[in-house]
Amino acid sequence: MTNKVLKMFGFLPIALAMMTGPGLVGAQESSSDTVRVAVVRDMAGFDPQQFVTGNFYLIKNLYDSLIEYTPEGKAVPSLASAWAIADDNLSISLTLREDVLFHSGNQFNAAAVAATLEKATDPERGQNVFSTMSVVKDWTMDGDFQITINFKNPTSDRQMLDLAQFLLPIDPAGMDNVATAPAGTGAYLLEERLVGQSLTLRANPNYWRKGEPATETIVFTVFDDDDSATAALESGIADIIYSGSSRSAIRLGDAGYQIIKGPGKLTQVFRINSTRGPFQNQKFRQAFNFMMDRENILRIAYSGLGDITALPWAAVSPAYDASYIKEFAFDVDKAKALLAETGLSAAEMNDWALLVRSRETDQVIAQIVQASLAAAGLDIKLNVLGAAEWREDLLGGNFAAVVAAVGNVQKFPSRVSTNSIYRTSNNPVFGDPHPHPDYVAAIERVNTTVGSDADVQAAYDTLNRVLVEEAFVIPITTYETGLIVAAPNVSGFTVDIDNMFVARTVVVK
Amino acid sequence: MRKSFQSATKTIRNLMTRKGVVFSVFFLGALSFLAIFADLLGFDYLTQNLIASLQPPSAEYWFGTDELGRDILSRVVYGTRTSLVTSAGAVTIAALLGVPIGLIAGFFGGWRDAVLMRVVDVMLALPAILFAMALIAILGKGQMAAMIAVGITGTPSFARITRAQVLSLRNRDFVTAVEAFGGSATYAMFRTILPNSWSPIVVQAIVLASVAILLEAALSFLGMGVAPPTPSWGEMLRTGKSYLYEAPYYAVLPGIILTLTILSFDTIGRAMTDLLEGRHDLGDHTSKDAEPTK
Repeated sequence: MTNKVLKMFGFLPIALAMMTGPGLVGAQESSSDTVRVAVVRDMAGFDPQQFVTGNFYLIKNLYDSLIEYTPEGKAVPSLASAWAIADDNLSISLTLREDVLFHSGNQFNAAAVAATLEKATDPERGQNVFSTMSVVKDWTMDGDFQITINFKNPTSDRQMLDLAQFLLPIDPAGMDNVATAPAGTGAYLLEERLVGQSLTLRANPNYWRKGEPATETIVFTVFDDDDSATAALESGIADIIYSGSSRSAIRLGDAGYQIIKGPGKLTQVFRINSTRGPFQNQKFRQAFNFMMDRENILRIAYSGLGDITALPWAAVSPAYDASYIKEFAFDVDKAKALLAETGLSAAEMNDWALLVRSRETDQVIAQIVQASLAAAGLDIKLNVLGAAEWREDLLGGNFAAVVAAVGNVQKFPSRVSTNSIYRTSNNPVFGDPHPHPDYVAAIERVNTTVGSDADVQAAYDTLNRVLVEEAFVIPITTYETGLIVAAPNVSGFTVDIDNMFVARTVVVK
Repeated sequence: MRKSFQSATKTIRNLMTRKGVVFSVFFLGALSFLAIFADLLGFDYLTQNLIASLQPPSAEYWFGTDELGRDILSRVVYGTRTSLVTSAGAVTIAALLGVPIGLIAGFFGGWRDAVLMRVVDVMLALPAILFAMALIAILGKGQMAAMIAVGITGTPSFARITRAQVLSLRNRDFVTAVEAFGGSATYAMFRTILPNSWSPIVVQAIVLASVAILLEAALSFLGMGVAPPTPSWGEMLRTGKSYLYEAPYYAVLPGIILTLTILSFDTIGRAMTDLLEGRHDLGDHTSKDAEPTK
């Protein structure tokens, strides 16, 4: 009830904040045994293999990874206390901790990891992890706490570690119902969920990391929009906003709140369905490399929090190459020249609509893109859909072009193929056979190159060149996902490589 | 003809004795003028000036600029087109559906009346905004869909008003005379009763126009109106809400225009209702009522 009232009258704290200015920072103290987190969307499910941003505030609190990364990308132990990569780069052996229990009280062991791998390799159940498993041949258990994952081809160290970091073991006893009931080893247990309103987590008394979690209860309150969440923080109703907008974060930062950014950015891209209409023409697609007004999109849609990019990678990615930003800078004249080479009529070039999510940021980007296209002579309409319809069309490939983010761009480059548009097989947009065989080959080369640094770099360079030439995805800008804005009395943040919310070390003074 | 012209002139003259009505007519007239001749007057709602986003009101931008550096005044003016066209279309649809329903129900009575009025009751029982949203979910988003949705939600009020008017006229001598001379039911309904029922229907049209504008704005506010970059007041309020802290004028100024427009339609509608109820001396009527009893 409180949540409903809060949401209904969310504008009142906004008005209050407007009248009183930034003086409200830290106006109210909260109890130290509870951390109150405002989120702007409800969770999608409890399956840790459903790596969607809506679940990012839950996954690392209910589950643990086999290994973890520091913000700098260094692998550190987690549920796996040690690992060894074979000299031939065909396997990785993981030694598992023996003092870990699942929330059910069941022992965490190699059988649980094997069951989790089994789920991940199932195209029906593997969710976002499935495509990552394409490089895995099989696995073998060597006792209760030792497991070896074997790969089809020699695989780079980084890719193996990425896979281990991506795996969050699920209790075999809860495997079948994991979408609706968490079954992990994480620092918190699910206490209560009120669909669309709130979610409460309670400290796991058997948690294996000594001294953690630091706070007994975490309450996530779902707000309808960023403004209401911001008002909640300013009025002291929440201690933290997770995954709010960059614009609000900048304003709150100016008012004295903490902004915690992580390395796990998303990349906003212009996705193109190259099987449709004028987009079957490669020159036409390539023209879009020059039609993205990246600087202004970053400044207006994300208040400058992020980086412009012409490749999908975040800056920490080993495949990141800043030179592409200059080469593919916004240039209407270059775009016009390429459009002129397409041989398409004006009617053919304008025979499509840009699919747009009804979210404010998406509409802003879409309108800037629309204006840029108009400057190059393309007159296109926007097809604005609500979140559910938009997602259905996006994941079903029912679009000509759409602006939508891609993730996993801060890790091993081939991990980008976990995103639907980048999948090398079973691609929901392109179908099979894949219409861009050069891209598939480039990903394969990246996956299988384990030689010298020069060889590896050459594989990355090839992939980057193929990406801009095939131009079925036009990267625009990276932006902060999982941005944390916190009151000054909150501390102990653990920055996650994927920008997931890690509550176990957070305290409110 | 001459008599009805004189009557209309007298009605307008009476209406114009009210300051509120004068202001409302002037305001709506000015708004309509700007909306119709926006292109000729140089308003540009589309051109982005990205380096001038969220500029406060100034000599260059009277209402400031939005997040994409577009002139808010121009977007308000073009938004007027969206609102007025949607409103006019919705009122037309509502009248075209509602008036015949009311005519048939009132004229024939009996089971036809019972069936039609129960249908109308069901429609009235549904909240207009929810009904409109459900229709848009079926029809898809866009101005036409909004127009149809708002029009259908306005149908019951026309049906009710028309039916009430028909019931009051149905047994009058001039109707009986038409029937006695062999006039068909259709003739009696559309050529005899309807011409004598126009006044409350016109008033209802004006009242519904304000409701339609509000409903269209509400739908746009919820993201179910016209697609960007076409401006609408509701969409401006929705987007402007997100910038209340940085640029309060963004939401407030379109909001004021929306409020004044609804208020203007409502003022005219209420004044006409007063006139039809026989309270012609409108200007004095209000002030006399306000005086304390001695």
